[in-house]
Amino acid sequence: MSQLSTDKLSVAFAGLKALSDVDLTIKPGHITGLIGPNGAGKTTLVNVLTGFQAPTGGAVSLDGNALNGLKPHQIRRKGIARTFQGGRLFRDLAVIDNLEVTGVGLGQSRAQARAEAVAMLDWIGIPALQNRIAGTLPYTDERRVAIGRALIGKPDYILLDEPAAGMSGAEAADLSALIRRIASEMGCGVLLIEHNVGLVLNLCDHIVVLDSGAVIETGSPEAIRGSEKVRHAYMGTAAETNLPVLETLS
Amino acid sequence: MSVARRTISTPVILALLLIALALMAVFSGSRPFNQTIIDIFLRVILVVGLYIFIGNSGVISFGHAGFTCLGGYAAAWLTIPPMMKQTLLPGLPDWLMNLQLPFWAGAIFAAVWAAIWAAVFGKILMRLSGIAASIATFAMLAMINTIYSNWESVTAATSSVVGIPIVRSIWPYLIAAILAVFVAWAHSISRAGLALRAARDEPTAAAASGIDAPKERLVAFIISGAVMGMGGALFAHSIGVVTPDTFYLTLTFITLSMLVVGGMGSLSGAVLGVVILSGLIQGLRWLEAGVSIGTTTFAIPNGLQEITLGIVMILILARRPSGIMANSELNWTRSRSEDPGV
Ligand SMILES: Nc1ncnc2c1ncn2[C@@H]1O[C@H](COP(=O)(O)OP(=O)(O)OP(=O)(O)O)[C@@H](O)[C@H]1O
Ligand SMILES: [Mg+2]
Repeated sequence: MSQLSTDKLSVAFAGLKALSDVDLTIKPGHITGLIGPNGAGKTTLVNVLTGFQAPTGGAVSLDGNALNGLKPHQIRRKGIARTFQGGRLFRDLAVIDNLEVTGVGLGQSRAQARAEAVAMLDWIGIPALQNRIAGTLPYTDERRVAIGRALIGKPDYILLDEPAAGMSGAEAADLSALIRRIASEMGCGVLLIEHNVGLVLNLCDHIVVLDSGAVIETGSPEAIRGSEKVRHAYMGTAAETNLPVLETLS
Repeated sequence: MSVARRTISTPVILALLLIALALMAVFSGSRPFNQTIIDIFLRVILVVGLYIFIGNSGVISFGHAGFTCLGGYAAAWLTIPPMMKQTLLPGLPDWLMNLQLPFWAGAIFAAVWAAIWAAVFGKILMRLSGIAASIATFAMLAMINTIYSNWESVTAATSSVVGIPIVRSIWPYLIAAILAVFVAWAHSISRAGLALRAARDEPTAAAASGIDAPKERLVAFIISGAVMGMGGALFAHSIGVVTPDTFYLTLTFITLSMLVVGGMGSLSGAVLGVVILSGLIQGLRWLEAGVSIGTTTFAIPNGLQEITLGIVMILILARRPSGIMANSELNWTRSRSEDPGV
């Protein structure tokens, strides 16, 4: 059975426990949601899954094989892709070249990489952006390009770190449709990290809630919606971003 | 259109510029002018060699003169008549002692020899990045210089190694300079070049795109080492004599300042930096020698050219930090190149 999973994963930064004993499973074709207040450890989890952060305990495994010790580029070549909270496009390169870089990183020739990049921009629905310099794109387009870049080479898993941040309702709806297609048409296993909890409840089959590095709740959207623990976690931190979350949950 | 078709005009324009310089030298019929242009071609080779690594990786190397040293001495070992080697370099192994290759074959082996050492050093150095890598390259240069300054029996230590056949024709230098330009272009449009520039600009995203940055840095280091080695061999043939200090700090300073002035991120910048600064240096040389106006001779003190180079470099760094070409390339269309690497 094919899956990407963590087993009792822990990360500590000089005494701060960013993750403690986290178990999580992502399956091809499914969208798993990961939510939790600021500083809960969501990005840290993605960093461990993609080799950017070594765990202090526990293991990550792909189809039962441990990924410990692999470098980020090696993990990417095993079919686990990610996006970044800050976008991190190659700002001086054209959009098409941003996508081409992944093909090249995966060992394709430039011609092959370009052909796939063109097809991918079409698939995402942004062919017109092809020759725009990435650094000049508005936020929303930047996010889509980042997703396109991660999808090159048809990864088995994609980890999206707050792809809807800063998007309007309509833009977030477009993004939802795209994420759904990534799972259904590509058969990709998606991990969706979002502060837009409405979007997560709407899209995901299964949701994991992190708070202070620990999983406090898992389950279906309905279970999460009704969970007192989840409400409590978001109330505990008084950040403004949590208010809409609480509204969605109630 | 393929990336090669899109970008080929850059090396073609640069090659035409170099050919024009060669023709000027030939038609002038002046021997000193011929030598001046040969010096420019040598610097083009070295600065383009430097660009291949620095421009694409973003790591400043203070060590590449070391590869020039390896190339220069390899040329000496391979092309000095055996009789002379016997007295000058008695420690050479027999097969090398009795070998005498034509200069061009020596230059090819010099390139391979430098590339091998670039691979050896690079294997360790290329795991580093940023300032740590730069300092490590400097340590590499110091090591190479120390070994060549002390290994009496095969390098004559700090004494001059003479008897290297002098090549006065301008054509071999022109061909080598054009070759360097095309090698740099080919690397920069290759998958290795694109991957390396991606890792330079956004290392985290590059890693998440499957790019093995240390490996790509190593590829560029080896190719640039080969070009520097070839340049070192031809350098040796242009003056007929080498010492370890021919390939040390002064050469490092001159080549780096030319690359900085032209623009580290641009192949056109590498070539133009050499041509413009060499022109300036030549002008100053004439002033150093003295210019007579009427009955008075104006002469500027010796050493002023290094000072001027330094001033120009500092001014460029202050006013236009990405150099004259600022990451863009000369091309026919003047359209914005899709990948600013070329
Ligand atoms: N490299 C690091 N060194 C030290 N502490 C870190 C490091 N990275 C993250 N942390 C800390 O670990 C905790 C979890 O951070 P993380 O970025 O994973 O949270 P997050 O859930 O992604 O938050 P957000 O919703 O704000 O993106 C935070 O307290 C953070 O300050
Ligand atoms: Mg985060």
